[in-house]
Amino acid sequence: MGIFNRSTKGHVTPPIEVTLERGPLAFFSETIGETDPIYFDSDAAQAAGHPDILAPATYAVVVGTFADQIARRKGQPDILELINGDLRVLLHGTEAYTYHGPMFAGDVVTVENEVTDFTDAKGGKLEIAHITTRITHATRGLLVEATRGIIHRLG
Amino acid sequence: MTITPTTAQVGDTLPGLTFGPISRTTLALYAGASGDHNPIHIDLDFAKTAGMDDVFAHGMLSMAQLGRLATNWAGQDRMRALSTRFTAITPVGATITCSGTVVDRQEEHGRVLLTVALAAHIDDGTQTLRGEAKICGTP
Repeated sequence: MGIFNRSTKGHVTPPIEVTLERGPLAFFSETIGETDPIYFDSDAAQAAGHPDILAPATYAVVVGTFADQIARRKGQPDILELINGDLRVLLHGTEAYTYHGPMFAGDVVTVENEVTDFTDAKGGKLEIAHITTRITHATRGLLVEATRGIIHRLG
Repeated sequence: MTITPTTAQVGDTLPGLTFGPISRTTLALYAGASGDHNPIHIDLDFAKTAGMDDVFAHGMLSMAQLGRLATNWAGQDRMRALSTRFTAITPVGATITCSGTVVDRQEEHGRVLLTVALAAHIDDGTQTLRGEAKICGTP
């Protein structure tokens, strides 16, 4: 008996617009210990030929989380609420990105989540929600596709 | 000789990387910086009600290190994909050691695509993440 709301399989969340703000992006880069200044210093990024500081490889998850925060402010359920995730027994199982283009500070991107599937593992001791997040830019198109496996430890 | 994405061959290892020790402060900062406010990583009281002895690190903090290892070597513009499986919990106080090894090299239409196997281990040798990066030999 799982906890996830499996009737949400196939659900696609309404698109949410997220602005990649420079300060938070630099704060993230510093927190993960990034030492290459193109990830936290605008001058260094521009000297390297970028329009502004570059988002690190795992920043897509943060953009997704910011979209969740914006959804909540709009009175919409975030992705965990939607699938009925329970933080007490929740584990992050897998995370994967395919990169189609870079993200920079100042970019306005659109975030969309799709609940693609629910599966069971270890004889029902684990249940897994499979979520795909697409981050697109109005003129540069799809930038990153993220897929995520979120686990509930059951019993 | 320093290996680059253009010259790398199967079996080559990328420059390694360590991160830590991961303090509670690091976890509080990562929660704020990432927007992941799941209390299991920052609130001992909550962790105990969930049956854990202590808080534990965000898996994504370790994946960020695997991302750094790959992009510091190849540059963001050569990255095609990055994926990980979280195989064990990372406790407070752990230092993460990250490694990458070229496991496949395909050449098609003059373009090189590398597959790099990635792993993160903590001090006692436990593997906490394993994954891979797909990296282009040319930007």
